[in-house]
Amino acid sequence: MTDTQDLKQRLKELLITGLRLQDVAPAGIADDQPIFVEGLGLDSIDALELVVLIEEHFGIAIPDEEVGKKAFASINALAEFIAAEQSRA
Amino acid sequence: MGAPAADRTARPIFAADALAGRRALVTGGTRGIGRAIALALARAGAVVTVTWAARENDAEEAARALAACGEGHGVRRCDVRDRQAVAKLFGDLKEAGGIDVLINNAAITRDAHLMLLADDAWDDVVSTNLTGPFVCTRAALRGMIAKRWGRIVNVISPAALAGKAGAANYAASKGGLLSLTRSLAREVARFGITVNAVCPGIVETPMLEGLPEHVRAAMIAQIPLERTGRPDEIADAVLFLSSGASSYITGAMLAVDGGLVMA
Repeated sequence: MTDTQDLKQRLKELLITGLRLQDVAPAGIADDQPIFVEGLGLDSIDALELVVLIEEHFGIAIPDEEVGKKAFASINALAEFIAAEQSRA
Repeated sequence: MGAPAADRTARPIFAADALAGRRALVTGGTRGIGRAIALALARAGAVVTVTWAARENDAEEAARALAACGEGHGVRRCDVRDRQAVAKLFGDLKEAGGIDVLINNAAITRDAHLMLLADDAWDDVVSTNLTGPFVCTRAALRGMIAKRWGRIVNVISPAALAGKAGAANYAASKGGLLSLTRSLAREVARFGITVNAVCPGIVETPMLEGLPEHVRAAMIAQIPLERTGRPDEIADAVLFLSSGASSYITGAMLAVDGGLVMA
């Protein structure tokens, strides 16, 4: 598994446990599907909790709505965002 | 027949440890209503940090009063208009275990009729009374969401509901704070965080000192309970809304005003 695939797997698991998704397996979350509003039944308020989880697990801050929208566009986008923030650190 | 006296026989409805294990921040907590709130939370077992911005003597006295309630309480200079100072405060609080209870109490007045209201009198009041609570609340929410528990109480004013001639800046800031309270209550309810407003009426604080007797009498004539309130009576309401006892109350406005407004 590449680092990127590993990160995406971690993110899916974080999403499922952190946001307490019922009847969803990591394999059931597509890398390119929107995380919020469509697909998983999560809304924009659930996104607040994911912001907190990302900060806790990766030490990366999502300071505002603009950054959050880009980062949460999909698992792909979130993995890219985290990788970019980590390489900047 | 005289005015009904405050009920001195009233017994506290809270256990002495109602807020044990909770950490609280009270902005503007070194005098008047804020000081009474800080002491009530501390006596209920919370570890309390209070901020102040203007009067060092009050801060020293409040520090002594809090120390008499137990260990761990803190008094910090922090003007809520100063975003860097607020960020530093919350950074330090996070290191110490975060904040479970936030009381947005710090507020100022700079009265003038609107036609003569200077830009800086508007900006000062709105940035302290409305933007200050926004910045503090935003900083407190991450920790509350992580813990899935939180209590936010915003101190407003009858001016928020009825308006006040000569204080449109103050009234607008408090009305804004009430709307913030209700909007945020909707946003964070699912995380076990409640957001409520307490609306004190006319309370015996340094703000009332020096008021001419006839003005005081005219004010009291408007109050069904025929007396001014005491800071500890406001603090009891805030304590209730800060505790687990208010678990099904959010987005509410609790007037503690002797019946003054009834809105």
